[in-house]
Amino acid sequence: MGARRRNLLILLAVGLLLVGSVVIVVTKKTRLGLDLKGGVELVYQGRPTPQQPKVDSQAIDRAIEIMRKRVDALGVAEPEIQRSGAGNIEVGLPGTKNAQRAIKSVGKVAQLFFYDWEANVLGRDGKPHPTDAGVTGGQSAGQAGGLSFYDAVTLAAKRPPMNQGRATVNGQSFLVDDKQKKVLGGPAESAADLVSELPGGEAPRGTRVVNVNTGTLVVQAEPATDANGKKAKQAPDRYFVLNDAPALSGKELTDIKQDFQRQGGSNPIVTFKFSDKGRSAWQKVTRTIAQRGQQQQLPGENPQASFQHFAAVLDGQLITVPFISFTDNPDGIDGSNGADIEGGFTIQSAQDLARNLQTGALPIKLKLISQSQVSATLGKEALNQGLLAGVVGLALVAVFLIFFYRVLGLIAVAALGVYSLYFYALIKLIPITLTLPGIAGLILTIGVAADANIVIFERVKEEIRGGNSVARGIAAGYKKGFAAILDANVVTIMTAFILFILATAGVKGFAFTLGIGTIVSLFTAVLATQAILTSMSRSRLITHPAALGAKPQRRRWTFDFMGASKWFFSMSGVILLVGALAIGGKGLHFGIDFESGTRINTAVQKSTDENGIRSVMAAAGYPDAKIQRRDDPKLGRNVFQISTRNLQPDKVQEVRQKLDERFGVGNSFSNSSIGPTFGKTIANTAIIAIIASLLVITAYIALRFEWKYAVPVLIALMHDLLITAGVYSLTGREVTTSTVAALLTILGYSLYDTIIVFDRVRENVPRMPRAAFSQIVNRSMSEVLTRSLATTFSTLLPISALLFFGGETLKDFAFALLVGVASGAYSSIFIASPVLWHWKERERVYAQRGERIRREFGGIVPAYAVATVGGAPVDAEPVTRPKRTSRGSLSSPEPDEITAEEFGELVADLGDGNGDDGDGVREPPSPVPAREDRSSRSTSSTTSTSSPTGGARAGGPRSSKPKGASKSKSRNRRHGRRR
Amino acid sequence: MGMLAWVMMGLAVWHFTIWLPDHFWGGIVGAFVGALVGAIVFGFIVNAGSVPGRHDTELLTALEALPGALVGMAAVYLEGMRRERLTR
Repeated sequence: MGARRRNLLILLAVGLLLVGSVVIVVTKKTRLGLDLKGGVELVYQGRPTPQQPKVDSQAIDRAIEIMRKRVDALGVAEPEIQRSGAGNIEVGLPGTKNAQRAIKSVGKVAQLFFYDWEANVLGRDGKPHPTDAGVTGGQSAGQAGGLSFYDAVTLAAKRPPMNQGRATVNGQSFLVDDKQKKVLGGPAESAADLVSELPGGEAPRGTRVVNVNTGTLVVQAEPATDANGKKAKQAPDRYFVLNDAPALSGKELTDIKQDFQRQGGSNPIVTFKFSDKGRSAWQKVTRTIAQRGQQQQLPGENPQASFQHFAAVLDGQLITVPFISFTDNPDGIDGSNGADIEGGFTIQSAQDLARNLQTGALPIKLKLISQSQVSATLGKEALNQGLLAGVVGLALVAVFLIFFYRVLGLIAVAALGVYSLYFYALIKLIPITLTLPGIAGLILTIGVAADANIVIFERVKEEIRGGNSVARGIAAGYKKGFAAILDANVVTIMTAFILFILATAGVKGFAFTLGIGTIVSLFTAVLATQAILTSMSRSRLITHPAALGAKPQRRRWTFDFMGASKWFFSMSGVILLVGALAIGGKGLHFGIDFESGTRINTAVQKSTDENGIRSVMAAAGYPDAKIQRRDDPKLGRNVFQISTRNLQPDKVQEVRQKLDERFGVGNSFSNSSIGPTFGKTIANTAIIAIIASLLVITAYIALRFEWKYAVPVLIALMHDLLITAGVYSLTGREVTTSTVAALLTILGYSLYDTIIVFDRVRENVPRMPRAAFSQIVNRSMSEVLTRSLATTFSTLLPISALLFFGGETLKDFAFALLVGVASGAYSSIFIASPVLWHWKERERVYAQRGERIRREFGGIVPAYAVATVGGAPVDAEPVTRPKRTSRGSLSSPEPDEITAEEFGELVADLGDGNGDDGDGVREPPSPVPAREDRSSRSTSSTTSTSSPTGGARAGGPRSSKPKGASKSKSRNRRHGRRR
Repeated sequence: MGMLAWVMMGLAVWHFTIWLPDHFWGGIVGAFVGALVGAIVFGFIVNAGSVPGRHDTELLTALEALPGALVGMAAVYLEGMRRERLTR
């Protein structure tokens, strides 16, 4: 297919996709994440139960199914319930309508068990005493009697494991203070769980963890009921120790409904019927209870005094202990008419219980390990800030591109516009749930797309300056630049993929948009712009090099990068030293994502100050809470941020309620709450993600270049990560999951610059067959420095937009990126390249060259390869390689072949005739008959009049321009070749 | 956190090897490995085989890596010199 036809086809595809994108953008809705539209996100960790000893995928799926039914029944629109990691379930509930109910309902296990009360409630001796009202509560069973919490726990802990196969929980753990005879924490499922939830992750001095074995259950007394059947809000501070051997479970209930009492009031109740098995078990237990009551009745005594009870326990909580009348039901209660639970319910709680029992108990226990809630107002504000940052970032990059690259810049800006439209259409089409980190990813890909254009445009300019026509310059520029872009983008995509696999939900959005955006940008920034430019290559608009910003360079970089690297190394060393001391002395300020804890942002309706909020928090049991008044006129006058390490996700709603009662929080309540388990998971995942990214990047570089190029890359990446860590420590900024995402992005970006430099080094190695490696690197640096600076600058532009306009969340992210990207650009030039130089210089071929050059130049190696022309040293540029004879793929790097003549020179350099020692120098292909090579040889003979050093073939004198060199230049131009 | 401080200190010290003649075994990369391994191993030894956690890391923890990094690099340097002598 001809190039013209190919370009037309690409342009046609671009146009069609544009039309399609516009249609999608207009017709489809954008799916916004909870952080942008407001809502609640909950993360539960699955825990085994005696009935389901292993949390397997089937149990998780079943739990998800039940949870979805519960949320649907509540009428929450578009809930997102999905598995996360091995045993976690993420629940996203958009909007705030019914969210509170949903939070309470969705993760409730809803395991209901019925116990023969008097036969199972234990006295101080660990044995049942059915007739002792002090133990059972007598006629007020479940509400009176019982033990103190401490006594109940210590008594229960003395019982050995029992009731295997019948017990409802796998044991309980409590934290007790024996001196004060108080229970300070629990129940938790295990000692480890209990301790992990304590401040600092350890039990305070003077306390101990008490474990209650399987088969024994400590339950709190049920709240007292008044004359109207209403239950008190608070349960009394009395506890019962139950022999955990239920007679019947909620599984045997059918046709469960919320109803109202028909006799003795109109309180809400839950009615149900029994399955066949349940009916028989129900009859059996009620008969036992009735007969025991009958046996205990003393002659002449009111029968009610001897009525025995059964207890309904829901998720370890005593909800009701009704009596069984042996006078009405001497043979127990026939379950054919069903039964009901009068638990002192409100209509809502009765409805919720009925619904949870209908949908069935969850097969596993769920622990709420993370809870975040964003109010719709804050969500909208975040969305606006994100969009503003995006628009500003795009505008800044556009201005930069047009200013720097003129017509090329205009085309790049058009490509950026096309890219933005495609990407937005993709977001709507897939659909991708757009989150705040996702917007950050999107903005960053603007930088990626611009970088790709810059790399190519610089190459195009270089080709045109080298004597190529505009059309040939464009073709060659795209061809040569593509390998570097592909390498850099593949690394970005791989890093994004690792992030996506390992990260939590928010960061996943970022990784996904970064990955997709990078792929789309490859299409728009490379293929589309190439098609446009090539089609325009004969247009007047771009036929003049000046229109492309490709006028002859007045100045070029002549800095001795390798020579100066000592000073830059030392500077890095000092920065890292300070960073290491800061890490040791100050440490890192980890956010609640890693540390666990809760951060609440709320605008209260009644006027108050920090002390007012603090008093509510102290009363709720969180006196350590840090309160900050925030200035956010959009939310109101009384906006506060509350941070505390000790508030666990499952207690956040209690605090919200207390704040609401005192000051009124309305819908302005946003919070992020991470439990210790989740915090540890996040921290471990972050470490794995960073190590995995480093390994993958190293392997990729080793494959695409050679392994010796991979090591400096790894060192430079470590340098960037550690400097960023040092800066975070010094500034005391909070390290969050966004920071980790930023660190991983830094890996990709830092590599972008390094790849550009190394790509040119790789290209120049065979083109400078007599140069020392330091000269090759210096030359390469001089050629690509403008490009590196331009890509870094174009990346920093959208990052700055994020920093200044992106709001609180994105600011953190942008700060890490700012430090990392700046450090990455620096390390590519002053760390990675010098390390490569030092290491490669040890290879025999380069050592020999170095020795020869030192001999010729009085013991020094000039910074740049020089040739002596007519006795005066002149700068020597790399030779032009012979044109490729075989067709290679667009992405494959230029082959590092050398001519037979160059090979001969190498052999002479080595002295012993062994020319294959050293990387980058291979056996040359037999004769190189290509026309360009012949002309190259003739050029060489024109310029290299004596003592050529460092591959002095086509001399490009700058200061003292000999006659011969000038002729060579004009000849090169005539041949239309790059010099 | 202790490990981070050690690695950072090792890397920091390694940067100054650029001023030394390149006699390291494995060159500048050998020195890098020596500095890092030395810093970590010495840190381990000083802390009786454990890595100080977040709350146990202090200024001294970072400084503990210093002698280790220097010893590690010195070992690599001496080995490099030995090998050079053998080659000659």
